[in-house]
Amino acid sequence: MKVTFPHMGNAWIVIQTLFESLNVEVVVPPVNSKQTLNLGTRLSPESACLPLKLNLGNYIEAAEEGADTIVITGGIGPCRFGYYGEMERQILWDAGYEYDVVTLEPPDGSLLGLAKRIRYLAGTNNSWTKILKSLRFAYLKSVALDRVEDAIHWARPRLSQPIETEKLYEEAKKRLAQTMTVKGVQDTVRWVQESIHERLKEGYLRSDGVNKPLRIGIIGEIYTILDPYTSLGLEKELGRLGVEVDRSIYLSGWVGNHVFQGLVPGYRSIQSYPSHAKPFLPHFVGGHGQETVGAAVKFAREGFDGIIQIFPLSCMPEIVAASVLPKVQETYKVPIMTLIVDEHSGQAGMQTRLEAFVDLLERPRLQRAIGQTRGEVFGVGGR
Amino acid sequence: MKIGFPRALFFFDYFPFWAGFFHCLGIEVVTSPATQRQIMEQGLKKVSDETCLPLKLLAGHIQALKDVDAIFLPRMVSVELDTYNCPKFLGIPESIVSAVPAGIPILTVVLNWRKGQRQVLKDLQIFGIQLEKSKLEIRKAFSEGQAWQKQYQDSMGAGWDFEESMRKIEDASKGLQHAPSVVESTPSIPVTVQTRERLRIALVGHSYLTQESYANRNLLGRLREKTEVELVQHVSQEDVDTNLLGLRKKLFWNHAKQIFGAGNKFVRDREIDGIIYLSCFGCGTDSLVQDMLARKAREQHKPYMVITLDEHSGEAGLVTRLEAFLDMLERRRTHESYVSTYGECLDRDSNTL
Repeated sequence: MKVTFPHMGNAWIVIQTLFESLNVEVVVPPVNSKQTLNLGTRLSPESACLPLKLNLGNYIEAAEEGADTIVITGGIGPCRFGYYGEMERQILWDAGYEYDVVTLEPPDGSLLGLAKRIRYLAGTNNSWTKILKSLRFAYLKSVALDRVEDAIHWARPRLSQPIETEKLYEEAKKRLAQTMTVKGVQDTVRWVQESIHERLKEGYLRSDGVNKPLRIGIIGEIYTILDPYTSLGLEKELGRLGVEVDRSIYLSGWVGNHVFQGLVPGYRSIQSYPSHAKPFLPHFVGGHGQETVGAAVKFAREGFDGIIQIFPLSCMPEIVAASVLPKVQETYKVPIMTLIVDEHSGQAGMQTRLEAFVDLLERPRLQRAIGQTRGEVFGVGGR
Repeated sequence: MKIGFPRALFFFDYFPFWAGFFHCLGIEVVTSPATQRQIMEQGLKKVSDETCLPLKLLAGHIQALKDVDAIFLPRMVSVELDTYNCPKFLGIPESIVSAVPAGIPILTVVLNWRKGQRQVLKDLQIFGIQLEKSKLEIRKAFSEGQAWQKQYQDSMGAGWDFEESMRKIEDASKGLQHAPSVVESTPSIPVTVQTRERLRIALVGHSYLTQESYANRNLLGRLREKTEVELVQHVSQEDVDTNLLGLRKKLFWNHAKQIFGAGNKFVRDREIDGIIYLSCFGCGTDSLVQDMLARKAREQHKPYMVITLDEHSGEAGLVTRLEAFLDMLERRRTHESYVSTYGECLDRDSNTL
């Protein structure tokens, strides 16, 4: 049995760790690329959402490396992701890829069924203690990854020489993927933080004296937030423009809530969002629709300069959130931009919109610095 | 008190329940007129352009409700155990608030059958406080609504006409003095003698598309002129359930279950000459269910066509596709019983056979 799984940003590091510590052979598919998307789009229903298309591409590329079993998490709706496992199995079989698909969810609510599936994957040589231990270690790694990402978010708009920052990020990911000890994980996080502080001495990114970067909160559908290929490098691009980003959902927050059913909080827990969303969207709408609204409210209250929502075309929960967000924008006077991605999204279009948005956010600050105000002419939402 | 009920989305399946419910409480229900151009255009202006056509129509219908004391927009979370409605149903009324004219209050209630009847009654009783009705009255109204809904569902057989049954229910809910015996279970239109010369077409899709004759350019009417039409609603619940058994994982959307179950029955039914799947652009559940049904249709060599609606749908394009599809079915009947056998997997990558 050779196990593979779909990509979602840095999640592969965590999943690979989990299977390797259980001595299960695992194939990490090549990272998402144009090729992946093309392969996946050819097999997918045309109006399916983007993650499904990328997932299928991942499986086809993994099949070439000998993978025969897919692991994916599930759910019972109402977001489409819950049905991905079964849908993907049908599509792959029809296309001649005879994959075994294991959906990690309690089938019809039966925990015993879930235990059986885990046992099937882990084989007979692993004790339950070992499985739990491996899960715990993988979880620790996901928290560490999130801390590294957060440090990079902080560093991007501040450090001079953006290329060096990206190199640091890549190196940190490589080290995290390789280490198999708790100490190694902690050391890597500390190393990243120290390197950033050292680089600070070399100088700041901006020479115009404004050393307090703009802050933008990124909210929306989890796959598009976490996966830089899908978001066309949204965070990196914003960092390059001198913006410090924060996002509503981090990998371990999602793992804690979705996989461990809220038993562990994860880095930046998502559990507080529904209560923030209450005045605007009091009922959950599937996926992370309510969390998106809650995160927008939270970012607005924390004084972020702007918010960007990103989701794949036709994503049902996010469309509901998007129709509620104008109310948040009005209430808190914070500009919110919505970006929708699909297989036709282009880098240039994204860049133009981001530059325009950042310009718009910077203008009131510059105006204030110069001492001119022209009322609400320049702003969105009365800024 | 007079409340407005938009003729869109949940109207098509659940109006009888709400009509019975409010009738029993002595509240008059006013429905918006049938969709026309102006209603759709009003709707397009008021909601986010990412959302689907049925929701845009709902926004239009909300604005078309005149002279009402409140507009009723229930949050229909679920209508059956273990299933949900589409997430967009769950986001009502918040996502549609921008369409409600200023000054008219919104009445809303959560309807969630996932947790069983007790929870539904409890939510309705909280709603009852707003309406100034006692718990007992709500309980009575609830059973009345259930009875209306059941009568309505039982009346759906061959020859059943949606417009006709809705008109009856509307009349009953308006004329408060009459008892609701008007909803009869006998179909109003005599069952037409089935002649084998006419094609039999199954039209599957959400009720708010198949019955929405403006949005679908009177597709149902056009089909009925030339063929015998079977709808999802004509299939009995037992048939739907048996046809869902083959699934490895249960579908968790109520609508999708009905559509796939009924569609799967039509695929196997030798009497059905072809299947038309009516969907709308951006429909999340359809994007998966349509593909699953297409797979089944391909297995059984059943002609299958997908029509995707949006606010730009033109009549000419639709008529051309429809005629071509029907011609193909005619020809298939007279000339050969199978599609060409040349090239075994010719249709593997096509969506439409």
